[in-house]
Amino acid sequence: MIQVQNLSKDFSLNRKQRKELGDEYKNTKTLRAVDNISFECQPGRIFGLLGPNGAGKTTTLRMVATMLKPTSGSITVSGFDSVSQGQNVREQIGFMTGQTALYDRLTPTEIVKYIADLHGMEKSAFQKRKDHLFQILDMHSFADRRISRLSTGMKQKTSIARTIIHDPQVMIFDEPTAGLDVMTSRAIMDLIRSCREEGKTVIFSTHRMGEVNQVCDDISIIYNGRLFYNNTLDQFKAEMTQATFEDEFIYRVGEA
Amino acid sequence: MNLYIEWGRPKLKFLIIARKEIIDITRDRRTIIMMIVVPLFLIPVLIGTITKISFSQAKKASEKHLKVRFFGQEFAPDLFQAFINMDKVTMLNQIPEDSVESYIQNEYLDAAIYIDSDYQSQIDQNGQAKINIHFKGTDSFGITKDRINGVLKGFENQIVTKRMNRLNLKPEVVKAYNLTYKDIASKQEKFGKIAGGWFPYVFIIFGFMGAMYPAIDLGAGEKERGTLETILSSPASRLDIVLGKFLVVMLAAVLTAFIALAGMAIGIQRIPEIPPEILVIINEVLSPKTIGLIMTLVLPVAAFFSAVLLGLSIYAKSFKEAQSIMAPLNIVIIFPAVIGTLPGIELNTITALIPVLNVSLASKDIIAGVMDPFLMTEVYVSLFGLAGLAIFWCVKWFNRESTIFRS
Repeated sequence: MIQVQNLSKDFSLNRKQRKELGDEYKNTKTLRAVDNISFECQPGRIFGLLGPNGAGKTTTLRMVATMLKPTSGSITVSGFDSVSQGQNVREQIGFMTGQTALYDRLTPTEIVKYIADLHGMEKSAFQKRKDHLFQILDMHSFADRRISRLSTGMKQKTSIARTIIHDPQVMIFDEPTAGLDVMTSRAIMDLIRSCREEGKTVIFSTHRMGEVNQVCDDISIIYNGRLFYNNTLDQFKAEMTQATFEDEFIYRVGEA
Repeated sequence: MNLYIEWGRPKLKFLIIARKEIIDITRDRRTIIMMIVVPLFLIPVLIGTITKISFSQAKKASEKHLKVRFFGQEFAPDLFQAFINMDKVTMLNQIPEDSVESYIQNEYLDAAIYIDSDYQSQIDQNGQAKINIHFKGTDSFGITKDRINGVLKGFENQIVTKRMNRLNLKPEVVKAYNLTYKDIASKQEKFGKIAGGWFPYVFIIFGFMGAMYPAIDLGAGEKERGTLETILSSPASRLDIVLGKFLVVMLAAVLTAFIALAGMAIGIQRIPEIPPEILVIINEVLSPKTIGLIMTLVLPVAAFFSAVLLGLSIYAKSFKEAQSIMAPLNIVIIFPAVIGTLPGIELNTITALIPVLNVSLASKDIIAGVMDPFLMTEVYVSLFGLAGLAIFWCVKWFNRESTIFRS
């Protein structure tokens, strides 16, 4: 379970960045990327964090994953505080982005082993879990081939195996299908669904409304760092005034 | 069998990171070329080629056939004869006086000698005869000037001896001192002071270069690949990550420096022109004890390089940016290392505090076998202090969100 309470994040701006942002930021030293947001992600449900580019989705997820420290507010992951119990939080999570984020000179087996080692997995437990994952992802044929020699699909499978090798209870997906082809995107969506079936807590950021409709149970819409919608997907559908999800999303963002 | 998979899991997370990074960088061709191939093969080839070229040039210059134009041979026929009798010389008496400068400039002529018309009367009256010599000072090894001087000096000595006999004077009249020099510096000491500076120069530069690629790969490379988030969201702490990476960069620096030393040792052994007695000294200098002592200097300086390079690499957004940030550092490193090779620059209480320069000078003293315990302590305190500060800065830097997620 993830609980986010009154979360805010400010980034300090240097002179060059102030200049680039225009006159509005001429005399400000910080930029508020996330502004007092609160939400909850429940185990066995998929929480969609929606918003256009630059809305604050990645910053929020990075704070949940303890990569960034909140300026104010709190986050608890499986009961652990993200600031004071950062390591405990990281032991609970699996983090995946749209980039395959792999080491070109290592093999899938080596990458998965590296992450398993960092999570303190024992050799026998690792072997069992790895064999299981490589079986269901059909990775055995390229398990010992270097990443640089793999196709995009093979890389994506490796990325999936690397993310879930330690069987995390909380899964964080930051725009996981960005830039991927249809086939690979589908594999990711299947993974997200399977996480729900296994009772994991899933937070999933995207700006593709089709994906939201496919997998999400709960949604929040974030824009300019502020959360202006937070409810179940069913409720969102019931409140729709526009013809499609996409139109409704654009309409609501425009209203915000 | 894949050893990485078969080996057990280290208990400490920074060792897990270090182990993975070692596997990763040893599969990188650029790192291997920089770390092993260049120092181990290129240094011996370079040393061999440079020595061969300079030896052959020196030989060529000493065997050179000098072309000399002599003006006023009628005033000094004996001297003219002495030049004709000189080995490997051709007297070119057809060159007109107004063309001499351009002939020398274009290297058709090596020297022109001008004798004054009162030459003989000055010699006879115990006076000073004026002789002008024109030559081009940029010729190899100054051989023209030396050989012409040799003939003139020999001839001058004959004239002086004749004058002394005529005046019934002993040679002591013009030579009041009988000087005897006894050099108490050992051959090793002299070699250390003259050539010793080049050894540290080579391993400092190579240590730095050997650390550069791994540092870029482990910092900026991780950002560029997008793998940094994977590591940051793992249970490893920031300290674990930075320590693991730092250890590997430092290992690369130390190994490259060591391989560079080995490369030099191999290179020197393979030069046939080196006289055997000098080779004996070099082998004494490159003893395990000396190398061991030098490596104790390399360790802190490698730690310093590694921490600074890793910090800068983590700051950079991409591989390319990291390279452009680090390129000017080469000059910063080379400059003090080169100063250390200059004669007259010695280890003292001030130079012992200047990083890189102090390693260069201290290595020179180690090779020469003349170590001042106080100054050596100062060097170690300065180097370890600086390395500690650099590591502290690197860890701090890695903990800054604006560095890690700089965009």
